[in-house]
Amino acid sequence: MSSIATTRIQRELKDIKESNNQSIKIELKSDEFNNLRGEIVGPSGTPYQDGMYKLSIKIPETYPFNPPIVSFDTRIWHPNISSVTGAICLDILKDQWAAALTLRTVLLSLQALLSAAEPDDPQDAVVAKQYKDNQKAFVKTARFWAQYYANAPGPRDTDCVEKLRKASEMGFYKDISLQALSTHSWDLENAIQYLTSC
Amino acid sequence: MESDDDYYEDDIDPDDYDDGHNFDNEDVEVDEGYLGESSVDARISSYNPDLGDDDPYPYECLSADKVVGLMNEIIREVNDIVNIPSTTLRILLAHFNWDKELLLEKYYEYEGNQERIFAEAHVISPLKSKSLARRKSGRSIEQACEICCNNYSSSFMTGLDCGHSFCKGCWSQYLCTKIIDEGMSQTISCPEFECDIIVDDAVVMNLITDQKVCRKYQHLITNSFVMCNPLLKWCPAPDCHHVIKVEYRDKRPVKCECGREFCFDCGESWHDPVLCMHLRKWLKKCDDDSETSHWISANTKECPKCQVTIEKDGGCNHMVCRNQACKHEFCWVCLGPWDPHGASWYNCNRYNAEEAKKARDLQESSREMLQRYLFYCNRYMNHLQSLKFEHKLYARIKRKMEEMQQLNMSWIEVQFLKRAVDVLCQCRQTLMYTYVFAFFLKRNNQSIIFEGNQADVEKATELLSEYLERDVTTASLGEIKQKVQDKYRYCDSRRNVLLRHVHEGYDKDWWEYIETS
Repeated sequence: MSSIATTRIQRELKDIKESNNQSIKIELKSDEFNNLRGEIVGPSGTPYQDGMYKLSIKIPETYPFNPPIVSFDTRIWHPNISSVTGAICLDILKDQWAAALTLRTVLLSLQALLSAAEPDDPQDAVVAKQYKDNQKAFVKTARFWAQYYANAPGPRDTDCVEKLRKASEMGFYKDISLQALSTHSWDLENAIQYLTSC
Repeated sequence: MESDDDYYEDDIDPDDYDDGHNFDNEDVEVDEGYLGESSVDARISSYNPDLGDDDPYPYECLSADKVVGLMNEIIREVNDIVNIPSTTLRILLAHFNWDKELLLEKYYEYEGNQERIFAEAHVISPLKSKSLARRKSGRSIEQACEICCNNYSSSFMTGLDCGHSFCKGCWSQYLCTKIIDEGMSQTISCPEFECDIIVDDAVVMNLITDQKVCRKYQHLITNSFVMCNPLLKWCPAPDCHHVIKVEYRDKRPVKCECGREFCFDCGESWHDPVLCMHLRKWLKKCDDDSETSHWISANTKECPKCQVTIEKDGGCNHMVCRNQACKHEFCWVCLGPWDPHGASWYNCNRYNAEEAKKARDLQESSREMLQRYLFYCNRYMNHLQSLKFEHKLYARIKRKMEEMQQLNMSWIEVQFLKRAVDVLCQCRQTLMYTYVFAFFLKRNNQSIIFEGNQADVEKATELLSEYLERDVTTASLGEIKQKVQDKYRYCDSRRNVLLRHVHEGYDKDWWEYIETS
C-alpha cells in the first residue's frame, strides 16, 4: 500500500475518534489498512432511525486519488442502495470523488443519503418504483427492514410480522420471503405466487 | 461578385492540388496539340472513378508535431484578438470544442459579463485572478496538506487560482492518477471537493517530473484536439501517428503518408460503393463470430449520440459518455436521453407487448436472414481473401518485369503489368464492397441492373486474375502486352460503369434498403 494512503487512513481514523461523533464509526478489519469496517446510525426522522448499518470499506492502492469502495453489509431498503448486494449509487463514490474528501465525509454523506433519497438516480429500480408510486408501503418496508436487519428499536408492524410468518411457514427462507413481500408491497398473494414461480 | 470568387477559391484550389492543372486546361493557352494529347493521358491516370465526379478533395497529412503547431496557432490567433493568457485560452478553446469563431462570438456577446464564459469553462477569470493571486508570497508558515495530512512550509504548497492549495507531492500523484489511470487531460479539476476549476497545461507540466506522464499528457491533449475538430482525423493504421486534415468533411478517400487509404468520414478502408453506415453494420455482423465481439456485444452498448462503444462499470443506469467531444447523458436500458428519465424512469422498465411481438417476428425472419447473410458473406470473404493473395502476385509480376527488361524492353514499356495488378486489386476491393452494398439492398429494377454490372466486373476480374496468375508466365513476352492491356482496361471500364451507376442511384434515390436486426 502506498505511503500516502497509509498515513491518510491512520490520520483519518484518529480524526474520527477525536471528532466524538457517536453516529459514525470506522475500525480496521485486520492489521491491513486496505480493508475497513464502518458503521453508521440511521438518522432520526427517517424509517432508518437508530438502525445500525455496517459498511465494508475497501481502500484502493491509489487512495486518496481514487475513491474508497463502499457497500452496505447490513441489508437496507433504499432507492439508491441495492436491496440485494448493498451496492451504493452515490456521486462522490464515483466521478465526483475529490482527493480532499475523507472517509468521515463519505459516511456523513451516506447518512445524508439515508435522509434524502434520490429516486431519479436509482440503484435499485424496484425500491425506487415503490418509493415513487407507493410512499406509504415504502416507509413501512424500510422501517421493517431497519428493525429486522439493523436492530432499530420500536414495536414491529404486526401486518408485516404476520405475513412474513405465513410465508416462511410455507417453507420459504425468511430473507427470500421478506424480499418478495417487500417487492410486492406486502401483497401476500402476489408474493407467494412470485416465490412459487421461481 | 465577391461571393463568386470565394466559391471558386473554396472549392477548387488548383495550386495546392497536384492534378489541378489537368482540369484547368481550357484556361491555359499553350500549344494545342501537345496539350490535347497530354490531357487525354492525364485524364486516364488522374480521373478517380471512385468519386463519381471530378472535383479534387484537398487534404493534408500532418505529423503529431504539426498538429501541436496547429493547436498553438489557433491559440495565437485568438490571443491576438482577445488578450487572455494562453493557458486559460487553451481551456476556453477546449470548452468550445476548438471552435474559435464560437468562442469569439460568445466572448463578445457577453461583453461586460465575460465572467460567465470563464465560469462555464471552469476557469477563474484572468481579470479577477490578478487581484487575488499570489497572496501567499514571502511569508513562510507551516500549512497542512489536506490530501496527505502532513505539514509543509508554504513554499512547498501550490494550487490553482481558486485558492485551494496542496503539497507538490500530492499534486504530482493526483495528476499522474488522472492522466495515466483515467486518461484525462483537459478536464482534470482541482482536487478540492466540489471545486471544478480546471488544471491548465502549464501547471501540469510544472508539477509532473516523470517524462512518461508528460508525454502521455501531451498525447491526450493532442488527441482531444483532434477528436474535437471535425476537420481532423487520426490515421487508423496501427502505430501511425499522422493526422489527416481536410478543408471540408465528406465521405471521400484520403491517403496517409504511411500508405493507408481510408474513408475520411468513417475511418475504415475506402469502401466505395457501400455507405459508411452499411459498412459499419456489416463489419459488426462479420465480427460476431469472434470471442471478443461476443464479449463486446454482451457487455457494451454504443453511445446513441457519438457511437463510441461504452462499457457499463457500475450499477446505475445514468450513463455519461466519456468521449470529450460528446458527453451525452443517456439511459443504459432504453438508450434514450437521460433528461426525461428524472420523472419517468420506469418507462424503460415496463414490459412492452408490442415490442415483444416484434422481437418474436424478428426471430422467425432471422433464419432466412442468416441464409441471405451467409450468401453475401461468402462472396465478400472470398474477395477479401483473394485480395490478400494479390500481394504475392505483385512480387511475381515484379520478377517478370525484371525479366522482360533484360529482354530489351524498356522500364516504361513493362509498367503495364504493375498497372494490371493495381487494377485487379481495385476491382477486388470494389467487388468486395458491392456485396456489402447488395446485402442491404432491396430488390427493384435498379438493383437488377446493379447485379448485372456486378456480374460483368466479376467475370472480367476473374479473367484478368487467371491470366496474370497463369498464362503470363508461359506466353511469349511480345503477345502479353496487348492482351493484358485489353483485359485490364475492360475491367477498369466495367468497374467505373458499376460505380457510376451506384452513385447515380444515391443521387436519384433509387436504392431501397432492407431492415436488418
